[in-house]
This record gives sequence, structure tokens and C-alpha cells, in this order.
Amino acid sequence: HNMGSDEAYNFVFKVVLIGESGVGKSNLLSRFTKNEFNHDSRTTIGVEFSTRTVQLNGFYIKAQIWDTAGLERYRAITSAYYRGAVGALLVYDITKHLTYESVERWLKELYDHADPHIVVMLVGNKTDLESERSVPTEEAKDFAEKKGLLFLETSALQSTNVEAAFNKVLEEIHKKVNSKEVVRGSINAVTLNSSRAESQEEEKKPCCKNI
Amino acid sequence: RMATPSLLLYIDSNPAEQKDPGWKLFGKLPPREGPLKDPKKIQKEYETKSGKAGPGNPTSPRQGVRKNLDFEPLSTTALILEDRPANLPAKPAEEAQKHRQQYEEMVAQAKKRELKEAQKRKKQLEDRCKLEESIGTAAQIWNQEILPNWSTMCTSRRVRDLWWQGIPPSVRGKVWSLAVGNELNITHELYNICLARAKEKWRSTAVLTTDTEDVLDSSDRESSLELIKLDISRTFPQLCIFQQGGPYYDVLHSILGAYTCYRPDVGYVQGMSFIAAVLILNLDTADAFIAFANLLNKPCQMAFFRVDHSLMLTYFAAFEVFFEENLPKLFAHFKKNNLTPDIYLIDWIFTLYSKSLPLDLACRVWDVFCRDGEEFLFRTALGVLRLYQDVLTSMDFIHMAQFLTRLPDLIPPEQLFQHIAAVHMTSRNRKWAQVLVHPLRLFHSALQKDSLSLDFFFFNDIIY
Repeated sequence: HNMGSDEAYNFVFKVVLIGESGVGKSNLLSRFTKNEFNHDSRTTIGVEFSTRTVQLNGFYIKAQIWDTAGLERYRAITSAYYRGAVGALLVYDITKHLTYESVERWLKELYDHADPHIVVMLVGNKTDLESERSVPTEEAKDFAEKKGLLFLETSALQSTNVEAAFNKVLEEIHKKVNSKEVVRGSINAVTLNSSRAESQEEEKKPCCKNI
Repeated sequence: RMATPSLLLYIDSNPAEQKDPGWKLFGKLPPREGPLKDPKKIQKEYETKSGKAGPGNPTSPRQGVRKNLDFEPLSTTALILEDRPANLPAKPAEEAQKHRQQYEEMVAQAKKRELKEAQKRKKQLEDRCKLEESIGTAAQIWNQEILPNWSTMCTSRRVRDLWWQGIPPSVRGKVWSLAVGNELNITHELYNICLARAKEKWRSTAVLTTDTEDVLDSSDRESSLELIKLDISRTFPQLCIFQQGGPYYDVLHSILGAYTCYRPDVGYVQGMSFIAAVLILNLDTADAFIAFANLLNKPCQMAFFRVDHSLMLTYFAAFEVFFEENLPKLFAHFKKNNLTPDIYLIDWIFTLYSKSLPLDLACRVWDVFCRDGEEFLFRTALGVLRLYQDVLTSMDFIHMAQFLTRLPDLIPPEQLFQHIAAVHMTSRNRKWAQVLVHPLRLFHSALQKDSLSLDFFFFNDIIY
């Protein structure tokens, strides 16, 4: 079994990281899944893929997180990237206003390809560079509110709010999956789909079937 | 974290002590003011001090530090201006003046260079936005107008034109599925049955190594499994999607394994992993399998994947007819050098260009291949030859072979498609299918044989 973890889990949630290159997506991922920060991280070529299982309200939730820069490079993988995703972290760099300005374009692409019920968090990264901030917290917060997105500011370097950001997104997805608002066959099916590749293994595990 | 400083200027902070400045290039000495400052601040301080802060440069450090300055060039070379050490005599005023002048020229140069860079980046961003917008518009047309009326619209002139321009990624899988069809009537259930059998086989292969019965068969299975594993690791390695630990490693494995159980007479053949991978990028697993099996069942793909030499040769012969018709000079050059089409076509046809062309471009070839059928694969080949005609004509055998088996990394998509469009697929009033009439007849007889073995397979399945 090569998905990285042998633990039992109740849900698999696919979460994608999107945003301009250089905003720190890969470091958010490595901080969350490995508690690592790479100071001279290279440009992500293709897809980086990590999982981590967290416990939320007594459920084990396996987050399957996709990170890529290849999205800009290969249009051919966009559909695979967004397919089955139930959560997204849309990341910008608080010191680079241009990365914030492109948030709307990323949102459009996200909604063009992903499930309409996808949980999205706007993430302003690099709060450790407060002195160079060019995107005021309030501005981003208002924008997020207007668009119905969750919002947090993080520092992958100082490990500030990284756990909180991912956990909040996972929690919201879990809420949606459990809620009656979501029609069966939309987000629920997506959740089932994303774990189907592992269904053989899952059958052996407890409580995998109660989605 | 910060971009490597490329021009760092340090000016003594105490003007009273200021002596003649000296230069230190790429100096590693820490600035005297304690913690390292970022180049932007230093430059700003310097500009403020030297009275250069124009009206656009606010004096308040907080106000608009970065906003709206996104494309303002910033000099960041590690260039440090320092006084001469105290134990040396001070520079003459004339020399100091000259140095100051030199400094200003260097800064101006650097600014110019960075402005150019910034403009280039801006242009790239604009291009990207434009592309995204056109993809969005096209996706809307496909979703709202074409797909709901597929059967009536798919052959219309307008749709065919849009199709040629490339299908937006969000609808590509749907369009491919519709165009490839499901002549074989494969259901999701059948896929699951085949997959279960494949898993059973893999499990028993793992156990069987100590068993004596069925030795030949098991080693066969093993080699097929080994081959799949080996190929998966080499399928788009740069994407990191299909390799061990990647998100679609299991899916690619499953589809290829299920296919070996669905068509044991064909089994796994190298090149299949690329086709399955491209389908996985655009379709859910079971739908990808359905498209995969149906696509491989097309006459041309069957001929190649069953490695039917005589059929392959007739395909090459037909290709050469159109080659000579379209590119007589290059054709003669190839002939003179004994460069036969198998040398480059095998790779292109087996993987449907997904290994030889950049992935995005390959997907566009697939788009039109789904529209026009096998003929388009050969038309694309002629388009590639046409695009590189001049380069190829100046090469000898070995260089041509090398060039064609490893095409340039950057192939301009629009240009290639213009060249493909310029290739005419008629020869003496005969179309592709007419030139291929003979092998097709051969194929039909082969197909009948196949359906027999398929029946046998399903019969086997029932008593299994």
C-alpha cells in the first residue's frame, strides 16, 4: 500500500493547493504533512502529493493534498488536478500584491473545474515578513467574506496557523459531507470517488463504509 | 526567502564622518548598521538622503511600500559602497566624483535591465490571462451548446472548427468519450470484474513463485506485471502523478492490469501505459478504461499493439504514398538516406504522440484524432516532417533518426497545426481509407478470428 499511511480512516478528502508560483504552496504542504520548511525550495515541477491523517471530532480524516506548479505549465493536467477535490487552499503572498490580485483568476479556474460545493480557504502566507506586507489583512478578509471563502493568514516558515488552516478546511468539508444541505451524489460522490482507488485496502479497515 | 540581492548599496549613515567612498563588489562584510537590511529599504534610504525621492516615492515608510510598485524595477546587485579603510589615505575628490558617476551608470543599467524583465513578465501574464479567458469561453460553448446537442452538432462545420482549435480541459474527457464511443459495450461492472481478476492474478503470482504447477504461465504473468511496473515508472515521470507514491499510480496499474484480463490475447504492450495515462488525466477510472479498450480496438491500434507486422507495413506504405505526395523533396532525401518510416512512426503511433510531443500539444493531437480517426495520426506525422523540413533536409541518416525520435522540447503548437492543416490527405483522388483498402480487408478477417477468441474468454469467465 503506497499511499503513505497504514492507519485506518473514515474519510479521504482531496485538497488542492492553488495560487501563483512562489507564494509558498509547497512549504505549506511540507509544514503540514512533514513539519518541514525548505528555505531554498525549488519550483514544483509536476505534482507534489502528500497525505496526512488527522483526527477531527472523533473521526479519522485522511487529507490527500495536491500541490503543483505544473498547472501553469501543462494545461493537460488541470482536469486531473481538480477532479474529485473537495477542498482548496488558494494561497497568495502577503508581501506581493500581484499574487493577491490574481486570486480572482484562480477562483474562476477552480469553479470552472471543481465541484461547486468545494470548500475554499483564502490563505495569505508569509506573515513572518510583516514589515514587507503589501496586502492589508482587512482587505483580504473582506474579499474572502464577499466571495464566501474561509480566510486565514499563515507563515509556513514560523509554522503559524498552518495546522489551523488545513484543519479548518477539513472540518468544513466534514460538515458539508454530514449536512443534509448537500445533495447526495455531489460532494458525497466525490468523496467516495477519491477513495475508490484504494477501495480494496479499505474494505479491510473498520468504519470505512459509513460515509 | 528573499530574492538574491543583485545590487546592494551601502552608504555610511553618518554624513559628518563621510569620507571618500570606495567600492566593494560582492562584499561579504556585514553592513555597519547591524542587522542586514533588505535592498529595497537601503535603496529608498539612499534615494531619500540624496534627495532623489521623486513625487512618486512617498516619504512615509508605511504608505504604499509595495502596492503599485509591482513592476518597478529594483536594483539588487551585491554592490557595496564603502569608505576606504581609515589607515589608507582618502581618495581625491575628483576620483570620488568619478566613482559616484560610475555608480549611477551601473544603477541605471541595472534598472533598465530589470525594467525589461518586468515588462517581459507582464507580457507573459497578459498572455496567460488571454489564454485562460479564451479557454473559459470555449468551455462555455462546449458545455452549453454542443454537448447537450451532441449527435446533431458534432459533425457541423462550426463544431469541427472549434474542435480543431483544441478542446478545453474541463470538457475534454467528455468529448473524447463521446467521440471514441463504446462499441464494445463495456460497463463499469465489467471493468470491476476484470480488475478483480487482475488483482487475483497478481496475488497468486506473488504466492506462485514457490509453486511448481503452471510454471511457464506464471512466469509469463510475472513478466507482464514486471513490464507494467517498469513502464509506469517511466510514464510522464516529470509530472510525478503516475509513479510510486503518486496519486494515480494505483489507477494506472489497475487499468493496465484489467486490460490484460479483458484482452489476454493482446496483453500488455509497451506504449499502452502512455495512452492509459493520458486518459486517466481526463476521465474517471472506469470511463478511462472504457475509452482505453475501445481506442485500442480501432483497426490501426489493433494492428500495432498486436504487432502484426504485415499490417503495420501496409500502414507505413500508405503513409509513404501521402508523404511523397505532400513532401516530394524530403521524401527523396529520406529514400536516399534509407530512412524508413518505422524508425519514427512506431513510437509516434504506439503512444499516440503522448511520449514524443509536449503533453499539451499531444492532447490537441488527440482531440483531432478523436474527430478524424487514424488518418489524423499520419497527417500529424506529415505535419511534423513538414514543420522541420528544412532542418531535416540538411541532415544525414543518423541525425535525422535522432531528431525524429527526440523532437525538440519547444514545438510551437500553432505552427505545427498550421503545417498539419497544410497536409492534403488525398493521392490521385484517393483518400486515406481508399489507399488502405487492402489491409482493411485483411483486418476484417482478423477481427472475425478475434471475436471467436473473445467468446472463448467470456465462456471461460463464466465457468471460472
